[in-house]
Amino acid sequence: MSNWRWFSVFAVLILVLAACGDPGTSAAPGESDDPPASGSDASEPPATDGGAGGEPQTGGTLVFGGAALAASLDPALTSDGESFRILQQIYEPLVDLVPGTVDELEGVLAESWTGEPEDTEYVFTLKEGVTFHDGTPFNAEAVKTNFDRWQTFAEEFQGNAYYYGAVMDGFGPDNLIASVEATDEMTVTITLREASPTFLFGIALTPFSIVSPAVLEATSADDPATSTLGTDTVQGGTGPFVMEEYIPDDSATLVRNDDYHGEHTAYLDRLIIRPIADPAARLQALQGGSVQGFDLIAPGDREAVDGADGLKLVNRESYNTLYLGVNPTATDDSSLADLAVRQAVAHAIDREALIEAFYGGGGSPADIFLPPTSGWFDSVGEGAEVYEYDPEAATDLLEEAGFDADNPATVNFWYPTEVTRPYMPDPQGLHQAVTTMLEDAGFEVEPGSAIWGTEYIPAAQNGEYDLHFLGWTGDFDDPSNWYGVHFGYAQGEPAAQFGCDVDGLEAAIDEAESTLEEEARGAAWSEVAQLVHNEVCFVTLVHGDTAIALTDQVQGYVANPTGSESFLDVWLSGE
Amino acid sequence: MTKFIIRRLLLLIPILLGLTLLIFVFTRLLPGDPATTILGERATAENMALVRESLGLDRPLHEQYFQYMGGLLQGDLGRSFITNRDVVDDFLQRFPATIELSLAAIIFAIAAGIPLGVYTAKRRGTWVDAGGTILSLIGISIPIFFLGLMLKWIFAIQFPILPDSGRIDLVNYFIPRVTNFMTVDALIAGEPGGFIDALRHLVLPALALGTIPLAVIMRITRASVIDVLNEDYVRTAHAKGLRDRTVDGRHILRNALLPVVTVIGLQTGLLLGGAILTETIFTWGGVGRWIYDAVTARDYQIIQSGVLMLALIFVLVNLIVDISYAFLNPRIRHS
Repeated sequence: MSNWRWFSVFAVLILVLAACGDPGTSAAPGESDDPPASGSDASEPPATDGGAGGEPQTGGTLVFGGAALAASLDPALTSDGESFRILQQIYEPLVDLVPGTVDELEGVLAESWTGEPEDTEYVFTLKEGVTFHDGTPFNAEAVKTNFDRWQTFAEEFQGNAYYYGAVMDGFGPDNLIASVEATDEMTVTITLREASPTFLFGIALTPFSIVSPAVLEATSADDPATSTLGTDTVQGGTGPFVMEEYIPDDSATLVRNDDYHGEHTAYLDRLIIRPIADPAARLQALQGGSVQGFDLIAPGDREAVDGADGLKLVNRESYNTLYLGVNPTATDDSSLADLAVRQAVAHAIDREALIEAFYGGGGSPADIFLPPTSGWFDSVGEGAEVYEYDPEAATDLLEEAGFDADNPATVNFWYPTEVTRPYMPDPQGLHQAVTTMLEDAGFEVEPGSAIWGTEYIPAAQNGEYDLHFLGWTGDFDDPSNWYGVHFGYAQGEPAAQFGCDVDGLEAAIDEAESTLEEEARGAAWSEVAQLVHNEVCFVTLVHGDTAIALTDQVQGYVANPTGSESFLDVWLSGE
Repeated sequence: MTKFIIRRLLLLIPILLGLTLLIFVFTRLLPGDPATTILGERATAENMALVRESLGLDRPLHEQYFQYMGGLLQGDLGRSFITNRDVVDDFLQRFPATIELSLAAIIFAIAAGIPLGVYTAKRRGTWVDAGGTILSLIGISIPIFFLGLMLKWIFAIQFPILPDSGRIDLVNYFIPRVTNFMTVDALIAGEPGGFIDALRHLVLPALALGTIPLAVIMRITRASVIDVLNEDYVRTAHAKGLRDRTVDGRHILRNALLPVVTVIGLQTGLLLGGAILTETIFTWGGVGRWIYDAVTARDYQIIQSGVLMLALIFVLVNLIVDISYAFLNPRIRHS
């Protein structure tokens, strides 16, 4: 029996541990050991307030669950939302989106600027009195140092510096940037080789954040072999939070920057981001009290949070689109070569039913590629064909094309595995639903699936699928980031993904890319939209909303369709 | 004994060399590459070419292998393709978390598995034994992710007596990481409350991870004790009038534990690399999840070097088991 005693001792030990402590308690605001922020103005209401009311209170620690931590701590080398979530609290660009909008800019490190989309010269007057977290002053030289660093990135960095390459048309002395000059202590002049309507929105992205030149030097940030900027905890930003500790796969701990240059300092003493890859585990962490908020709730869990005591949802309007790629050149003698068959595909799909079944009701049917949150939605959407759900019309169109029950139009239809995306919460379920809809209209569907990053994307991009799911989340608000990226021609060839070689499309895209005046640009992209929608190069399906789940204690969280969200105005109520 | 250890250590060299080649070939056989992970929807042919070139993936395979081996021989295990972090730094940062969890799990498995095994063996053929056998079968076959989610749901959400995930209550304890063993770091930081909290965070993941080893240890102990119970020397010991406790401890357990020790060693080695699911469910930042993520992202450098380091540790753990085996069994020591 002596061994049995061992077991009993062990069981008692576990029970004692379970009894210790009081899970779910958190330091109430104002009870923190940290001194109140000097210079903070707790009575100042936040610029925008997404939560219940009350005066913002300073203090407390917020633990927030994301899907991952940062891919790199060097903002220029990141391109994903999880990295941005952390880095944009620490680092700031010259300009940024007005909270809650996708098409309005405001100065952050720039006090003001001159330069319109038609111009090649932008003059930025910088904000006075800003210091980096390392205590060094922010000035025009710092801006120039950063722009020069990005332009001359070593080859090893260029692959990860996706956004710089995309916005500035590559790297090196021949890219979009002709020069960056520190005209005086607080003025920077950036000259472009040609006018770029996306330049300002581009540099509002987190990868264009300005890092302290002293930190760049101390971390050998230009040398791919020895740089520690992407891996070490450094104080190189100007943002409302300072990195205190970063443990990969565990947590990123940020503390308030008491010298922040904005209207007020952050209300939170400390912001901790925890990586929780699985959406179900994120929800459990919220319910269990180990986080007070998390992003990217699974659509099926929306109800569990919405109806629960002490929890709430902040809806993030969609800035994404799920589409069905329709490729008439993927297989020989494809039935999709006939426009009537492609139109039948478009009419066969009940998009409202997909939103109800797979998006928890959070989304809207995608009439065009651009989501309604885009400033270009009305002008670009004008004239593009909208295909309403009409299975009978679909069947009629198939008959018109010479297909019937004995001789059905056969298509292969692929979906990705091992992935969910905000625009595609359940690829397999969506695939089953759309397959049934297509079969009801009279198609014969050959289903296929492939692993997302490694098989599916390359095959879809190569144009190997008749029909396939894919989607897009906007980088910045310009139609070129939607239609241009997907349907642009390379060396006279249409994008292989769609095989969409419509008469006049290449010329229309060229025209739209080079049209700078806003109204004319909208009209020019509308031409492009009409061509690709009317010819059914793809069928846009759903703009899927996402949501942030929070405890009732968390106030002031403002969701942005792009996912670019600051914790500056977030505070914890004492309830 | 020393010769035995040296011979085993020398054997490591060809084993590890062969492993590097195997792992290298297997990672390259996986469809896709890191460029597709980095770019996602943005993986156009042009972008892909740029990323592949910047990562050196456009070079011939043998060149990539020799470059990797060149670094390896100089002690450079490379940097992650995705995060550019030093692989060794990453490994060392995560490994303590995995050891801490594995140790807790194996302690739980031993503390419960051996007594249960002995208890059921001594009641062989009774309903207690049958019940124990059924329970151990369930323990071996229950999927960890299911068990983990159930444990969380019951003990962290329905009856919130234990934390649902993570390694420490981040709101109430700020523990600077020194050793990356959370329990040790809490003590170093002079936070006894943090120490207790770190232990509390260990309970559910250790139960989830320790269940399979518990069942295995229990079964092996039971079988082994049953064998020993039938030995003449046990009967003799009883006949000599020795007390039951003495016979249990000196004669039965000491002999019955030999195969159990081997199993414990193997199970510990498996736990070190096999905690992937547990680490994911309980968001435990350890090595298992790190390598799993690397495989998903095709981060070749982490897969190659991470698996190599795990393999090295696995082999070393086995070596230690062999040595302890020799220590426990004088017959081996003297041969």
